[in-house]
Amino acid sequence: MSQLDVVGKSFPQIAAQGKANGKTKFVTDLVLPRMLYGRVLRSPYAHARIRSIDTRRATALAGVKAVVTYEDTPKIKFGPRSEDWTIFAADKVRFYGDEVAAVAAVDKDTAEEALELIQVEYEELPHVISPLDAMKPGAPLVHEDKPGNIAAEFKIEAGKIDQALDESYVVYEDNFYTNQVYQAYMEPMATLADVDLSGRITIWTGTQIPNMMRMTYAKALGMSPDNIRIVVPEYGGAFGGKMENNIHLVAAVLAQKSGQPVKLVNTRHDDFISGNPRVPMHFDIKLGATRDGILTAKDVKVVGAAGARLVYSQVIVATACYRVDSLYRFKNVRAKGYTVYTNTVPTACFRGFGNSQSTFVLESAMDELAVRLKIDPAELRIKNGIGPNETSVHGWKIASSGLRECVIKASEAANWNQKMKNKTPYKGIGLSCCNHVSGNRPFAREFDGGSGIVRIGKDGRVSVFHGESDMGQGQNTAFAQIVAERLGVTMDMVNVAQVDTDISPFGLGSFATRGTLMGGNGVLAAAKNAYDQMAEVAAELLKASTDNIQCRKGVFFIKDSPETRISFREVASQATIKYHGAPIVGTGFYQPPTELPDPETKKGNISPAYPFGCQIAEVEVDPDTGQVSVTNFVAAHDVGRAINPMATEGQIQGGIAQGLGWTLMENMAYQDGKVINSDFVDYIVPSCFDVPDIKSILVEPIEPNGPYGAKGIGEPALNPTMAAITNAIYNATGVRIKELPVNPQKLLAEMKKRDKQLKG
Amino acid sequence: MRIRPFDFRVASSLANALIQLDQAGSDARVLAGGTDLVLNMKKKNILPTVLISLHQIKNLEYVEEKDDMIHIGALAKHADLATNPILEKQMSILCQAVGLIGSWQVRNIGTIGGNLCNASPAADSAPPLLALDAEVVIATPQGDRTVSIASFFCGPAQTVMKSNEILKEIRLKKPVNRSAGCYLKLRRRKAVDISLAGVAFQAEIDSSGQVLEQVKIALGGVAPTPIRVPDAESCLQGLSIDDALQKIPMCAQAAASIAKPIDDIRATADYKRTIVNVFVQRCARQVLTTLKK
Amino acid sequence: MNHMPIRLVVNGEDYHLSIKPNRVLLDVLREDLELTGTKEGCGLGKCGACTVLLNGRPVHACLTLALQVDGCEITTIEGIGGKEMHPLQESFIEKGAIQCGFCTPGMINTAKALLDQNANPSEQEIKQAIAGNLCRCTGYNKIVDAIQSCSCKSVKKEGEHK
Repeated sequence: MSQLDVVGKSFPQIAAQGKANGKTKFVTDLVLPRMLYGRVLRSPYAHARIRSIDTRRATALAGVKAVVTYEDTPKIKFGPRSEDWTIFAADKVRFYGDEVAAVAAVDKDTAEEALELIQVEYEELPHVISPLDAMKPGAPLVHEDKPGNIAAEFKIEAGKIDQALDESYVVYEDNFYTNQVYQAYMEPMATLADVDLSGRITIWTGTQIPNMMRMTYAKALGMSPDNIRIVVPEYGGAFGGKMENNIHLVAAVLAQKSGQPVKLVNTRHDDFISGNPRVPMHFDIKLGATRDGILTAKDVKVVGAAGARLVYSQVIVATACYRVDSLYRFKNVRAKGYTVYTNTVPTACFRGFGNSQSTFVLESAMDELAVRLKIDPAELRIKNGIGPNETSVHGWKIASSGLRECVIKASEAANWNQKMKNKTPYKGIGLSCCNHVSGNRPFAREFDGGSGIVRIGKDGRVSVFHGESDMGQGQNTAFAQIVAERLGVTMDMVNVAQVDTDISPFGLGSFATRGTLMGGNGVLAAAKNAYDQMAEVAAELLKASTDNIQCRKGVFFIKDSPETRISFREVASQATIKYHGAPIVGTGFYQPPTELPDPETKKGNISPAYPFGCQIAEVEVDPDTGQVSVTNFVAAHDVGRAINPMATEGQIQGGIAQGLGWTLMENMAYQDGKVINSDFVDYIVPSCFDVPDIKSILVEPIEPNGPYGAKGIGEPALNPTMAAITNAIYNATGVRIKELPVNPQKLLAEMKKRDKQLKG
Repeated sequence: MRIRPFDFRVASSLANALIQLDQAGSDARVLAGGTDLVLNMKKKNILPTVLISLHQIKNLEYVEEKDDMIHIGALAKHADLATNPILEKQMSILCQAVGLIGSWQVRNIGTIGGNLCNASPAADSAPPLLALDAEVVIATPQGDRTVSIASFFCGPAQTVMKSNEILKEIRLKKPVNRSAGCYLKLRRRKAVDISLAGVAFQAEIDSSGQVLEQVKIALGGVAPTPIRVPDAESCLQGLSIDDALQKIPMCAQAAASIAKPIDDIRATADYKRTIVNVFVQRCARQVLTTLKK
Repeated sequence: MNHMPIRLVVNGEDYHLSIKPNRVLLDVLREDLELTGTKEGCGLGKCGACTVLLNGRPVHACLTLALQVDGCEITTIEGIGGKEMHPLQESFIEKGAIQCGFCTPGMINTAKALLDQNANPSEQEIKQAIAGNLCRCTGYNKIVDAIQSCSCKSVKKEGEHK
């Protein structure tokens, strides 16, 4: 590829200035005239029948403009992938936090006071919290029509697993648990809803899926999707957690009833108990290998808690069953997954989407194999790692793979060999790899891919329209760089429009680490289309053919005689004149070379590209307290090509910080069915002291299917982190961590037991 | 989070605050920095009908040496105390402890008086003050009264103060000979956490420089109030530094067995007891090593 | 509960308001003065997103009753930098220390207070200062870098309070 002017450079985030000086309006900053403040009354019980709701006192409070319950909704059952949601609880509440009623009032205090005046009579029912308990006969049923609380089952099988396990030199068999953690984005979920005279609803909110969400909400409200418009302002983080949620619908219903705009902002407590935390999972794994360390077979059972209604947990459990199979050259794999209803917060997407949970498990198991086979863990990964131009056991076509290079570069940077040789008590080093996707065909239903619109104004200003979502990760900046590169203009000439479903293309959204590749290819196609139109005009002005001209750094010129030139802005001006005011508008789309998997075998290439990574953590364990410090971290990631290296590093560092929090300190705790640590006092996220310096290494094999060769980084940034740390803990102490998060007291006890055994 | 309505009154001086507080009745509270009180009001744990704010009183933030005592005004902010040269020189254990309270933001407005009156069993300022045998001066409508810190706390969020009294000053005796102290607190991450268990260890050698004349150990977060543990102290008191170093494990064990922690969402009682043992050992070793030099 | 008069000097400007006593400074800034740069992340003084400078010292605006800072000088993110950006703001932007940006105003306020006190802080001192500012996006590495690269630069800029 010829020299790149914009792509591959670390431009500052294009929205950064407004964020640095406080001028950017986040969702929680938006105000409209006559706006009301909404609050939701949430269930105080994990499971209860609603006997009665009396809203009269709330309605009578001065300043209250609307009080709504299930009765004020179209009473339609809906869901992102199911039909077990209602906007408010109808006859039963199914989790602590379930929506029971809502108010809209002239100020926040009045809204809260009104909540206190709503009287609800509940009849408490037995509840079930653990998915294993929920599967047992006689367990309380979360949904009467779902026997055994089974929301979904998943099966996948390829090859001859039992035979392969029998013939293995070693089989490691064990069970693991990954707990429920909360995204803890800094801006709580919030929304502003307004209804116009025709009944059309506009919702401003931080969402990763403006269009998919609109489709779901149309069903819930009994209206055509055309009557819902979603606008996405800058918003404060998501990490998977900002997809469908009842607060948007509640705000819409309040706006309908009151006839005024309604802003509904979750208190942090509400966000904890009604957001979309990670699917907690129990794993049983069998992993076999030959004496030389070649993997033979893997057999896994996954049980994941859906919570009280299905958001995306069934897809996440399925993903946990088999996505990681394409990290190594597996030939024989089997998995069974159970998604189980529980009376807990409905679980959903959080960076990794099941692949993070299963990567922790597999990479811990690999570490165990390495110990038993006496093979270096890095060596074991290289032996088995899937390479470029290979097809995995499930038919995934891996075009580029920088996995091997990631392991080698990470090991070098971390001084792996030396540290493995010179062991110091209570200090350890651990390694973990990961794979991921850049888009997930079966998750998107009607199509996967991306699209874009590139508009060029008379002054040369380039506006990019896409339908994905910048949640702070730098998506818009990456798109601007891609478009600027393709058009041959400078970054300052490009701006990326706010996503507004009335104007933007129908993007599927930012999840599955798809944004840069799918959205990027979409805007790239649109930019090409815009370029071709511009080139036609430029060629005429330069008296050349379109083949003979080029545009770079905002100037069109004849390739053979570059002194014959005209600025992009001038061409834009002339084009607008030529077309009597019509701007140059390029549109385009990207159709990925993917397929829906076979419904039986699940085989099929589901993503155009697969990112890989390798992370190495160093820890120190306090021998007297069991507390773990992560002292050093190296992360090598195959990103195809880093559109923006600085932003890519930022994503890696952020993902590792989250993985570190998950491993060492984060846990949603339940007691009597209620979340008891719904604040940052007792839900502990890493502070600046907890996260070490992280060295990032970008590996760029240049992915043929990616825009300028890019794949994604969002989720791979976190996937390996947990096992890197727990493998390091094993290296430091000989204790295998099989449950997240690490509990210092348990670790201390295990260390003491081990010391006794070694001495005795 | 809505704060329930209340009457807000401003005190122009300590005397004025006392009068207003007395008049306002037992549902009134005094507001210092507010980092505990406003938090509790938001959580609806405390619902005062009257707040008497001390924010205009500027003469209670002092740290002064007078004769053989150090006087700390109750409205002194933790951030200022943490770096105060008088305290750093003579009772650095207090600086260590208040420097670990909350975040910098909390320390910039939170006061030592507020920390004591909030009376969390895990309050970070309490164990060092216990180990320093501090006294607190309480302003009352009938004049000042002085109470030893050891008898100040009655239970979680309970002190001997009556509802019409205001904490005015903390008074500490300056160490006579060389002394050193160490405060360690158990946290769930490396910064900004409440104390799950806290250990303060303060020791002073005698004029010969050989013998530990005073050994004081206080624990936070492992009993209904912060406590001293004299039965652990006596393991080391009066010994030479070298002898004391040998007896540290016994001392730590004694302290751990006196502690009465509870199981809670933050840690088990068992673990807190283990930590008390470990932290007493670490504090003791550090202090005795310092004094040996 | 009656409204009470209050005077706040915010970013150098004098404001005379009449507010209910139960309002916290954060809400008065965001709602009454429409200075939405200061954010609410948790409302309980545990995330630092609401950090403002009170007479130059960082505090949690969500835990401070407005009336208890009557007459005080408050600096919000809108008061950092002016026509030109403060070196900290430039540094945050250039070094990639901003992702979603929600923690940024609080983080910059805290960092500014640190540099005003200590123009050349060590990495440890920087972390001590910002330990109460949570960030969920960046993993802190680039934030510390951004603050460190500002050390020793001229940190009191003209026009800061315009």
